[in-house]
Amino acid sequence: MAEFSPGLEGVVAAETAVSEVDGANGRLIYRGGYLIEDLVPVTSYEEVAYLLWHGELPNEKDLDAVRQHMSRARRLKDSARKTLMAMEPSTDPMDVLRTVVSAQGASPALTKPNLEEAVALTAVFPTIVGAVLRRRQGKDPVEPRDDLGHAANLLWSLEGKDPDSQKVHLVDSYLVLLADHGLNASTFAARVVASTGSDLASCVVGAIAALKGPAHGGATLAARNMLDKIGSAENAERWLTDAHARHERFSGFGHRVYRTYDPRAKILREMAKTASPELHRTAARTEEVALKILHDAHPERPNATNVDFWASVVLTGAGIPKELFTTVFATSRVSGWTAHVLESLSDLRIIRPASRWIGPEPGRKPLQLAKR
Amino acid sequence: MVDGANGRLVYQGYVIADLAQEMSFEEVAYLLWEGQLPNRSQLDALTSELAASRQLTKAANTALDALPKDTDPMDVLRSIVSVQGVEHRLASPTRPLAIHATASFPTILAMFYRRKLGLEPVQPRPDLGHAANYLHMMNGKEASPEVVRALNTYLVLLADHGMNASTFTARVIASTESDLSSALVGAIGALKGPAHGGAPSAVIEQLEEIGAAPDAERWMRDARKRKVKFMGFGHRVYRVYDPRAKILKEMCQRMNPKFFSLASKVEEIALTILHEEHPERPQSTNVEFYSAGVLQAIGLPKEFFTPTFAVSRVAGWSAHVLEQAAHNRIIRPQSEYIGPEPRKPVPLAQRG
Repeated sequence: MAEFSPGLEGVVAAETAVSEVDGANGRLIYRGGYLIEDLVPVTSYEEVAYLLWHGELPNEKDLDAVRQHMSRARRLKDSARKTLMAMEPSTDPMDVLRTVVSAQGASPALTKPNLEEAVALTAVFPTIVGAVLRRRQGKDPVEPRDDLGHAANLLWSLEGKDPDSQKVHLVDSYLVLLADHGLNASTFAARVVASTGSDLASCVVGAIAALKGPAHGGATLAARNMLDKIGSAENAERWLTDAHARHERFSGFGHRVYRTYDPRAKILREMAKTASPELHRTAARTEEVALKILHDAHPERPNATNVDFWASVVLTGAGIPKELFTTVFATSRVSGWTAHVLESLSDLRIIRPASRWIGPEPGRKPLQLAKR
Repeated sequence: MVDGANGRLVYQGYVIADLAQEMSFEEVAYLLWEGQLPNRSQLDALTSELAASRQLTKAANTALDALPKDTDPMDVLRSIVSVQGVEHRLASPTRPLAIHATASFPTILAMFYRRKLGLEPVQPRPDLGHAANYLHMMNGKEASPEVVRALNTYLVLLADHGMNASTFTARVIASTESDLSSALVGAIGALKGPAHGGAPSAVIEQLEEIGAAPDAERWMRDARKRKVKFMGFGHRVYRVYDPRAKILKEMCQRMNPKFFSLASKVEEIALTILHEEHPERPQSTNVEFYSAGVLQAIGLPKEFFTPTFAVSRVAGWSAHVLEQAAHNRIIRPQSEYIGPEPRKPVPLAQRG
């Protein structure tokens, strides 16, 4: 009998070269062996997506080709656009994304996941996310721009005006930072779907569905909501002390894998200073107090700020409304999801773990309805 | 519970063979959700709740009309379950939500099927049970009691099957505290794969290729030389004959003699060849093999075989999601890094 691992903690479920979370040393390694802190200053999101898909950073010619490919693939199919417009504007943004990606990826015949489709699906996310926001604001969606990079086109799709270069830089860095992260729950969902021989859209839709959960992608919004409730640096100590007394969890702290400070949180923390100085002040004080309270309560645990905490401040500084945070996370992570699916094709074996039966002894005879 | 060593499938303590002949799909769905069989008033309440939840939302209807008519029905199901299940605020999985979702699957498929054929949609009939209503909406007329009974048995047999890949997908999604529709949409995506639910139509296609019983052995021996996989054989868990396949085989013999005469011959040869190749492995017929013949006899087109599997399995998926949500822990396994050792990136202009 196999051993039972709740949450599959500690179970190795895949071999991967796409990324590695070295939790003990606080390192995130992307495909090719690059540390995240080395990539952020020198690469755009398109370069990192290329890296995750191909295993190598692109040269100028390759980069140009992938950029053009993405530009061409930004438009929604007619059926996907009608599906988008059929939903009420107030629909949960992740539900819109899940549905429209499903419609965009619908096809007459099963196709094996391929790179072409990975690029196309990645390219279309900003179009959907932008339309979600604009419809919530009572505005019409704008057509994607093929002269802009991925991050700039995302801001254009949201705002419908030429994006500010400072904000483009923030969004681009955020997208690079979140593009992959080992075998997290949404990536694992994508790999389980892929393991049945299903298509790429099904994998990505399953991953979006998993990312939606507050224990996963929804955590960035939760962190920002907590900061909103705290309101100011001066209020942080009182609010956190009260919340702790009520046994409330602090959003933005703790991670199953990292035993030290998350390297992404470190980079975002620096970016947050200039991105959103006012919110940074509240957040920095919140972090200081929260870590102290957590350490006092559980000195044995490695309590650390996670990526969601500082991502919420940087995205705010980039002008992204908080209800869109999880969809922007998905806009980044889709390159990682698709890279994992493509990688898994080389040695596809159905992922079918065992469960442990905890019900009654088999063989009870069902009673006829009238006798129950 | 899938007791592979003894060839038993157990729902909440009841062995599948004891349920398949007697129970309605509604009773079994209740069993999976509640852990016990319903009494008369509980069953009546569930039946009317299911019947009252069969309509699609306006957005779902619009989206259904927008998808091209040649779309894979599994992609239609994935997309329309997604739009049917949208919410404005994150809701935890509940039994009423499971009922709504389960009720909507036949409507989505029947609406699409009729649109594909250029036929008027048929509205759901609240006076019909789950299986009967599905066939009514597909065909625009009531099916015979025998056919309804056969579909009902199929739906009972396939409703759950331990921790298979689609159910596991649903649980991984639920483990992030996401909503029920998200979990179901993910599960549909997994069921679509040919290594999971996508196989019953492949069984029909292979039998069509084989053609006739006298040609079967020659075709199959040739096929093995070309490394062609026999569709409908083998299972990771069962070490003896799948109890569902046994029941479906009997039904198939009764309802679809033409299919059965070829299929039973092909089964015999396939098991012989597979045993010759791997005498050490337990070779057996899986549930998909005779499902194909039963679904064909019921009159469902083959591209609706896998979606009909989903019509059944949604009961199990949602039961697992409710169980996961009640005792949750995020499912986040580890991976083994097999890439190169850390190194520095070269600036763009210097890359060859």
